[in-house]
Amino acid sequence: MEVEKVIETRGLRKTFRDFWRRPTVEAVKGLDFSVRQGEVFGMLGPNGSGKSTTLKMLLGLLHPTKGEIRVLGAAPSDTRVKARIGYLPEVSHLHPFLTPRETLMYYASLFGMAHGEAVRRTAELLSMVDLTQAADRAVGRFSKGMARRVGLAQALVNAPELLILDEPTSGLDPIGCREVKDLVCLLAKSGVTVLMTSHLLSDVEDVCDRVAILDRGALRAEGKIADLLRKPEAVRFLIEGLSSEAVAALRSEIEERAGCRVQLDYPAMSLESFFLQVVAQDGRLRTFEMAPFLRATQGTREGEGGACSKL
Amino acid sequence: MFKAVTESARRIWGVTVLAVRASLRTKGVTALLVLLAVCVGVLPNVVKGDGTPEGELHILLAYTLGFAFGILCLATLWAACALFAAEIDSERMSLSAVKPVRAAEFWVGKWFALLLLNAALLLAVYAGVYAQVLWRMHRKGWEEADRPASRRVTRPELPTPREEARQTLELMRQKNLTPKGLAEKAILRTLEERAQDKYDVINPGEQVRWQFRLLRPLREGAPVTVRVTFDTEYSTREHVKGVCRLGCRERPGKTVEVALDDFTRNALEFVVDTRAFSQGSGGRGQESGGAGGALQNFELTFAHAGDPKKASALMVRFRQDVALLTPGGSFEANLARAACVHWGVLALLAAFGLTLSACFSLPVAAFVATVLLVLTLVGNSVAEVISEEDASLWQNRVGIWVSRGVHEASLRAMQAAPLTALTRGERIEGGVLGASLAWNGLLLPLCFAAAGCWVLRRREMADAG
Ligand SMILES: Nc1ncnc2c1ncn2[C@@H]1O[C@H](COP(=O)(O)OP(=O)(O)OP(=O)(O)O)[C@@H](O)[C@H]1O
Ligand SMILES: [Mg+2]
Repeated sequence: MEVEKVIETRGLRKTFRDFWRRPTVEAVKGLDFSVRQGEVFGMLGPNGSGKSTTLKMLLGLLHPTKGEIRVLGAAPSDTRVKARIGYLPEVSHLHPFLTPRETLMYYASLFGMAHGEAVRRTAELLSMVDLTQAADRAVGRFSKGMARRVGLAQALVNAPELLILDEPTSGLDPIGCREVKDLVCLLAKSGVTVLMTSHLLSDVEDVCDRVAILDRGALRAEGKIADLLRKPEAVRFLIEGLSSEAVAALRSEIEERAGCRVQLDYPAMSLESFFLQVVAQDGRLRTFEMAPFLRATQGTREGEGGACSKL
Repeated sequence: MFKAVTESARRIWGVTVLAVRASLRTKGVTALLVLLAVCVGVLPNVVKGDGTPEGELHILLAYTLGFAFGILCLATLWAACALFAAEIDSERMSLSAVKPVRAAEFWVGKWFALLLLNAALLLAVYAGVYAQVLWRMHRKGWEEADRPASRRVTRPELPTPREEARQTLELMRQKNLTPKGLAEKAILRTLEERAQDKYDVINPGEQVRWQFRLLRPLREGAPVTVRVTFDTEYSTREHVKGVCRLGCRERPGKTVEVALDDFTRNALEFVVDTRAFSQGSGGRGQESGGAGGALQNFELTFAHAGDPKKASALMVRFRQDVALLTPGGSFEANLARAACVHWGVLALLAAFGLTLSACFSLPVAAFVATVLLVLTLVGNSVAEVISEEDASLWQNRVGIWVSRGVHEASLRAMQAAPLTALTRGERIEGGVLGASLAWNGLLLPLCFAAAGCWVLRRREMADAG
């Protein structure tokens, strides 16, 4: 069955020009890629490789110099398409004089939402991103991570079908990172298509089904993470609770039978898991709850859980 | 359909609320409020007038209101310049621009915010000035005649400037005086402009007669004020004398005569009690048709009775300087109408600033707006200088069209001069108010909105450069 393509670009190019229209940077050079319905797509690349530029073109914030873009089957400037997208920019450009509640109410109003509905969603989102305590303080004095949470909440206010996140975990503490990843997974499970960029390879590895690697504006690799990372000639057993004698016996047995060298390693816990475990002892780790309206509006994704099954 | 409209209204309201909050939560608004408070509360008590009620009213209605309005004009213009520009420059617009909002909805939402803020500020300013008028009236016990009034202005019935221009051209043709090498249209235009401000000369011994037809008939007993302003040679003013005679066609046979001998100020004003037309010889019985009925048609004659050897001629612009004033509504209503005219002008400035704001960054927009405003005000005198002869090159032609267009548009925008009307106690007619509001508050803003939305749709909202 042909899966619907939510995002599709062909020969996408962007050349920035200065005041006199002289070209300064070729930020994106002929990009072809597509994102399928319901998948979590990661975009990786070094600084200045054109990730944010690409996202902005997908959103109609920048006009491509050349090439074609289809988002949800239409051009990015189409307002009907915009109603179905959520976007979190690299830096959450919030109005400093507004409180988080006012901010969310404002963006809800831009979707033409009725007041009552907007109030409900705002409250649910604030509690989801753990900002209920700070809901009535001006955003201008917020810490970086708090502002990021407001940014994330505004991206979800319309219960989007397509979520575009530019470095969603930047500026967040490990708890926040983990919550964002949980959220992405939960949304993906309920059928939302997610396109995200990140520098943290572990983040991408944890949540993305497919990745594209950009370098200097061009696509260098694209595919399923499992396919890209598979080392076909090696195999790994993970066994818990073996005594050292049993290990030695097993090792010599395999070496004898298969006639190849066996490498032993004792997997350590990742620093992230350790940190979360320590913080959990203080009782600070809350159970992450997705806003009810997000659950209610989406269908459930059929098929496998994708990369999220690792979390 | 209905759903689309309500959703659109919600988006516009959302943008409006944000813009109002953005304006109210900056330090600028405090500065503006302080300035306005000083202007309304302190200025009229500091500026020394001549002590007469008329002088005090002038300070309150012309200076105080004028100053406050000027402050509001600049504040509106600059605030409008900031509304889009600041949001785009700081990339905040990139978050709003990805939402399903049309350019027109952004534009109208922000414009509404400025309209609301201006309405509130104008209300405060006008209420402040009105309170001061009441206070002075009460404290100093002004007499009825000194209190601020609202009177309808009726000007003499004369041929329109265009008709007069045609007649003059015909005369010039007969005498073979038409200038060579000029198109008839150009000559007519010049003649028409001249007819508007033409001075007529009244020499000693001469007499002129003007006919008036009131827009609304006057009930008998209401006062009619005659006002004539003039120019004359200063040194011989004391020798000028005159006799004014006012008659009413509905009450023939009786006129009111007023002898005038003080021409030292260049305006004459006197009140005629219309009961005088039915008293004495004219009496009832004689002219039964009109007795007790309303008065509508008046005739005013003025005879220059000065000594021909000593007194000089009077110069009068018939179209502007001669008027009958009759009671028309309350001062409060007139004040409200003046506020509405001002509101319209502010709406125009807001639209102008918003569109510039959509095109440029904040400092550029504010600079361009201020310069264009000054140029428009100065350009009104420049446009009159430009002649048709330079129209041979297309660049010149375009230049003439543009400057004429701007000239005409700005003239219309400023046509209703509410403060002049208020200080003179003249009623701002509904038609004038309506035309002014339609032009300043609707038609011109619509043009600016179209241009602004065109730019907004084409601009890259993420490119801060
Ligand atoms: N508005 C702009 N004007 C001119 N050049 C720009 C503009 N925006 C981005 N660029 C240039 O385009 C290139 C790609 O920038 P982009 O922000 O897309 O990179 P990125 O992959 O998102 O990098 P990072 O990981 O640091 O966020 C850079 O060289 C950048 O300098
Ligand atoms: Mg980036």
